[in-house]
Amino acid sequence: MTSHALKNAAAAKMSAQAAPVRRKPGALARAADTMVGRGLIQALAVAAFFAAWEVAVRAGWLTEFLVGAPTGIWRVFAAAMADGSLPVDTWYTLIEAILGFVIGTALGSLAGLGLWYSVFIARLVEPFIVAINSVPKIALAPIIILWFGTGFISKVALAVSLTALVALIAAYQAARDADPDLQALLASMGATKNRIFRSVIVPSTLPAIIGMFRINIGFALVGAVVGEFISSQRGLGHLIYTASSLYDLNTVWVGLFVLMFVGFVLYHLIDFAERRILPWRQVSTAGQVQV
Amino acid sequence: MTAPKVQLSLRGIRKSFPGKAGPVPVLDGLTFDIYERDFVSIIGPSGCGKTTVFNVIAGLLEPDGGTMMFRGEIVPGLRGRVGYMMQKDLLFPWRTVLQNVMLGLEMKGVAQGEALDTAREYLSTFGLSGFENAYPKTLSGGMRQRTALIRTLIMDPDILLLDEPFSALDYQTRLYLEGVLLDAVETFNKTVVLVTHDIDEAVALSKRVVVLGNRPTKVKAVHDIGLDARSPVGARSDPRFAEYFHTLCGELDIQTRARAA
Repeated sequence: MTSHALKNAAAAKMSAQAAPVRRKPGALARAADTMVGRGLIQALAVAAFFAAWEVAVRAGWLTEFLVGAPTGIWRVFAAAMADGSLPVDTWYTLIEAILGFVIGTALGSLAGLGLWYSVFIARLVEPFIVAINSVPKIALAPIIILWFGTGFISKVALAVSLTALVALIAAYQAARDADPDLQALLASMGATKNRIFRSVIVPSTLPAIIGMFRINIGFALVGAVVGEFISSQRGLGHLIYTASSLYDLNTVWVGLFVLMFVGFVLYHLIDFAERRILPWRQVSTAGQVQV
Repeated sequence: MTAPKVQLSLRGIRKSFPGKAGPVPVLDGLTFDIYERDFVSIIGPSGCGKTTVFNVIAGLLEPDGGTMMFRGEIVPGLRGRVGYMMQKDLLFPWRTVLQNVMLGLEMKGVAQGEALDTAREYLSTFGLSGFENAYPKTLSGGMRQRTALIRTLIMDPDILLLDEPFSALDYQTRLYLEGVLLDAVETFNKTVVLVTHDIDEAVALSKRVVVLGNRPTKVKAVHDIGLDARSPVGARSDPRFAEYFHTLCGELDIQTRARAA
């Protein structure tokens, strides 16, 4: 073999290695990447996690006393559903969180959007907003309990205190970022300030405001649960707190999983609302580039 | 030919903006007339305050001094009487094409049903039937700008203020939309004031060109453009086109020839 031929062969081998090989996804991969396929994989992963947990407890690798066990959790869940205490606790926490979310988010958003009307007032109150926002709102919980009692109202109030400023800051920021050229265009058409507010400010802040809903639904749940931790007779926070002080880990897990479920459902409700309210933002994923 | 009637007259308009070291004068006694059914282009070096002139005419900025007369009456600005169009199409992303076009009619308080009929009629005149319910982001740049033009025309404004409306488009789309504009202006008997940095566009479209100087800005010269062809391509093919083009380049101190050392 001549050296020339050798070189050629080497080059051919190199290029075969270097050439990007783009394989078409196989039949299995394609079947997996469908709604049903993904759901199946997710369900299997959850089942495997619980099975491993149960096995680890039964084999003695983990202490049930400290981590609970899936079968135990299920027994507590079934009993609490049967005697009706779990639905009542869930209902309490859910209503506290939703009321806190609605009141806090509505007040905050309206105030934030309202600040668009006056640059003077906005600049005047800005340091106060920043100052109040820098207080960790959870630290207000004891005062709120003092003011609003140990019942239902204090949990709603705590959720409001957690959500209102987030909403205010998000709405005000979004209103400030609204396209000034769109406002100028309407002004040139002779629009009043109220008209510009309705036709430009409100619609252009909606995406940011709905994005903030996702954050606030989580904060509202935090407010409700922390309020229940401090003092309460009912609710998932109450359930978790009392059970953990009795080292009843299975009941703690029941409370946590129900909370997770509640948060999950609320998040998807907002997702659904977003698609209905902002049809102009929906992008088709059909044109997305595969990387 | 009878003497043209003055529609809008700017007399000694002055405007300055606050800067770090005191006010920065931008417009320094701007004076020019716009006739009825005129097509005036305003050209000038970049940053000379062309857009400021517009905002003053539109009534979005209050001048520090000078007067503005509309058909013989002193007016503070022409809010609600101008159609304003910019380089950005400024379509409302949350409104469909139809709703965007109806915007100006809504502002005027036209009844919903009547506005709807008028909007549909305009859309079909300008070849956008079938796109009524499309959102702006699904349209091409040319279609978006065409929608913006319809939105401007449908309000039946006294004066169209166009601020580099076509400068973000590719050349073919631009020629096409220039033609649409000229036809529309002819059909609806409109007065147009066009701000552009594009001398070529100014010569091809205008009846007159106002040349502004460097900041603080005054009117440097006003040129009548006597091209007969009233189409964007026809005007550019006219033998006198190059002459006007050359003169205006000279006015703007653009070096048209590499200087020999």
